[in-house]
Amino acid sequence: MTGRYAFILAGGVGSRLCLLSERRAKPAVPFGGKYRIIDFTLSNCVNSGIFDVGVLTQYRPTSLNQHIGIGRPWDLDRTRGGVQLLQPAPGLATSDWYQGTADAIYQNLLHLKRRRAQEVLILSGDHVYQMDYNVLYAFHRRNHARLTVAVTEVPENEVSQFGILETEANGHVVAFKEKPKTGASGRLASMGVYLFDRDALIRWLVEDAAMSHSSHDFGKDLLPRLVARGEAVYAYRFPGYWQDVGTLDSYYRANLEFVQAKPPLDLSDPEWVLHTQTADRPPVRVAAGAKVTRSLVANGCSVSGEVMNSVLFPGVVVEKGAVVRNSIVMHDTLVAAGAELDRAILDKEVRVGRGAKVGTGDDMTPNRACPEHLSSGLVVVGKQARLPEGLVVGRNARIGAAVVAEDFTAQVPAGGVVDGPESMH
Amino acid sequence: MRDILALILSGGSGERLGVLCAERAVSALPFGGKYRVIDFVLSNCCHSGVQQVGVLAQHAPASLNDHIGAGRAWDLDRRSGGVVILQPYQTRSHAGWYRGTADAIAQNWDWIEQQKPARVLVLSGDHVVRMDYRPLIAAHLESDAAVTVAVTRVPAEEAHRFGMVRVASDGRIQSLDEKPAHTDAALANMGIYLFETGRLADLLQARPVDLVMDVLRPQVASGQRVMAYQFDGYWEDVGTVASYYRASLELLDPSSRLETHDARWPILTRDEERPPVWLGPEAQIEDSLVANGCRIEGRVRRSILFAGVHVGPGAEVNESVIMADTHLAEGARVDHAILDKYVRIGVGARVGESARAPGEAGSGAPEPGAGHEWLAGLALVGKDTWVPDGGRVVRPSVIGVGGRYEDFRDGVLEAGTVVPNRRWFEVLP
Repeated sequence: MTGRYAFILAGGVGSRLCLLSERRAKPAVPFGGKYRIIDFTLSNCVNSGIFDVGVLTQYRPTSLNQHIGIGRPWDLDRTRGGVQLLQPAPGLATSDWYQGTADAIYQNLLHLKRRRAQEVLILSGDHVYQMDYNVLYAFHRRNHARLTVAVTEVPENEVSQFGILETEANGHVVAFKEKPKTGASGRLASMGVYLFDRDALIRWLVEDAAMSHSSHDFGKDLLPRLVARGEAVYAYRFPGYWQDVGTLDSYYRANLEFVQAKPPLDLSDPEWVLHTQTADRPPVRVAAGAKVTRSLVANGCSVSGEVMNSVLFPGVVVEKGAVVRNSIVMHDTLVAAGAELDRAILDKEVRVGRGAKVGTGDDMTPNRACPEHLSSGLVVVGKQARLPEGLVVGRNARIGAAVVAEDFTAQVPAGGVVDGPESMH
Repeated sequence: MRDILALILSGGSGERLGVLCAERAVSALPFGGKYRVIDFVLSNCCHSGVQQVGVLAQHAPASLNDHIGAGRAWDLDRRSGGVVILQPYQTRSHAGWYRGTADAIAQNWDWIEQQKPARVLVLSGDHVVRMDYRPLIAAHLESDAAVTVAVTRVPAEEAHRFGMVRVASDGRIQSLDEKPAHTDAALANMGIYLFETGRLADLLQARPVDLVMDVLRPQVASGQRVMAYQFDGYWEDVGTVASYYRASLELLDPSSRLETHDARWPILTRDEERPPVWLGPEAQIEDSLVANGCRIEGRVRRSILFAGVHVGPGAEVNESVIMADTHLAEGARVDHAILDKYVRIGVGARVGESARAPGEAGSGAPEPGAGHEWLAGLALVGKDTWVPDGGRVVRPSVIGVGGRYEDFRDGVLEAGTVVPNRRWFEVLP
């Protein structure tokens, strides 16, 4: 596998994830009880034998930088190859903020200079899936493709959220439409996984960079153009599970799929370990009188109350008499005695005061601030928020990061918004 | 701390732990749901700023080599210093197993000298202890001692297990009694010694075998400044089945003396990547410690489950310690037992049934556990054992490594049975 090289695009803003990605890039959003979304892609690389990876960041890179570091958990702390974090840099003639995905790679073409790879793999750090990229390489070579795009079938009603491809029986791509509102035939969506011939990629990116009308994006510009002029673009149909957890609803649903007896991906497969950065935490402590069913609970948690159908990240404390139901609770959050959560997503280090009720009532008024993303009944609470004792929070509410008791003037009604102090940026 | 070299004595073969130490050193014994015993001492070194560590190992050293590796987990993979495992070795002019603790140190003296430590801190890798070594070092420097020995209070009825120490009011040690039958001394030697390097070199000239008998006792007897440092924190010698089991279950008490949740003094270990604990819709679990990678579908009460344990639907675990990757099939039941790694308990099997119903009087025949007091009434099941579907293991009893169907008579293993170990290639499917 020497000579293989992958770029991972990890600059995504993830605006539809609301509070969860307000202060971190989407690939750094916690997932599945101990992971971050980018762990799936990074682990796919190393499990496929690709040990030379560049991660392109732009939006709020701090949490990603901390998470990836020098790449130890993925065995990417290597003498040759390994992982490199590639942030936009000013100063050079070709350097600026990344305009689009294609531009991000264009600005980092330098990194291909001394690498001998015949092909370049370009991945997205935003998706939940397990894929052996060797299969993609084999498909690419067998078809003498210049570009192979991995595709998956998506439901009819979601077609407009993806890049949709039309292919001939042998996989040759004959049409590509980015997020088609109407008129798309087929439901084969691009997974944001591209395998390019190295020389073709360089040629095409240089060409695209010179076009003033281009937004320099793979999906919007490059792919449609290449397909239209009949380049050897092939679609590899991926048979496995693939999830774009780009919205709060899909994020919530995907997390809870992993508490089922038959989860969509086997996270305990010793042949395909999902690696992540983990702090040393003691085993889960379940106290006498506690009740925990149908849930994922990570090391470092301490449960004395009731937990059902939920995902608890490391260090969550559920005190006696507290109830956590249908919820996702991130690292080191405390649910104090007698508090109740239902259909809530709590970010890290939140404190839920005694007897507080988060996510109650039948009122389904959509959220005032972001009705399009928060209307299915979920409550979202930002990092380090302090919810006072006895607080009642209706459905579809949004409580900002780092709010304190004084920020609450009354109970929070359905669809309510409580904003905390402005972030420094 | 750059001038301190720690030597961890991990020679314990754990005879009194039976099958649990058949293929591992006591230091490598799993403890507390995800740790190995030696993790506590290595974490102490890391948090106390001791950055040069030698581990003296002899019994089943592979178990320690695997676990410690280059010392990454403890930030001991260093360019200068770090951790080194010192095993007995041969040269053209020398060959020898370690004859005792002092001999093990003497045989590695060349390496120790190369590290140029001002002081040598001798530790035991076989004890569970959460201790900051800095105050001990400070006390040693202040008292201008030749040797400082850490001591701790133990209950009088346990004194016969330890080296008991009498200390004068100025902190000087007056006597050292190894495993005394009767004593009024209340302080036990913790097996932690701080020597000035030069002094230790002189003492090793006489080729002593045992550190206590051949080095410390003569020093005390000849009136040298051998000083005691009293430690009041958590210290547990888990060298017997009874003490291992008791110390394990003590961790479940909300007021457990061993703090493992302290973020300022985390217990570091070589952690495998496992998913969070999964609890099924019918799971019933309380009063337990459960590590990542476990899948719980049945009932768990007052138990400790290491990574990757699977408790099948309708299965039950009670007051037991279950090590990594052991599986209980549907309806299996485990009671008062210690199960080693990779054990398979068949459908509906029962491990740790009591020999007779409580309150039932003895008939004059010997108790089923007679001669097996060391088992503390428990069932011990060795690594890689398969208990057949419907099989029954009555306690106290021991199944050696690789137990199989043939070990059961009519599907039953009677109390007092000890099944010997098998080698792995004798149990290939």
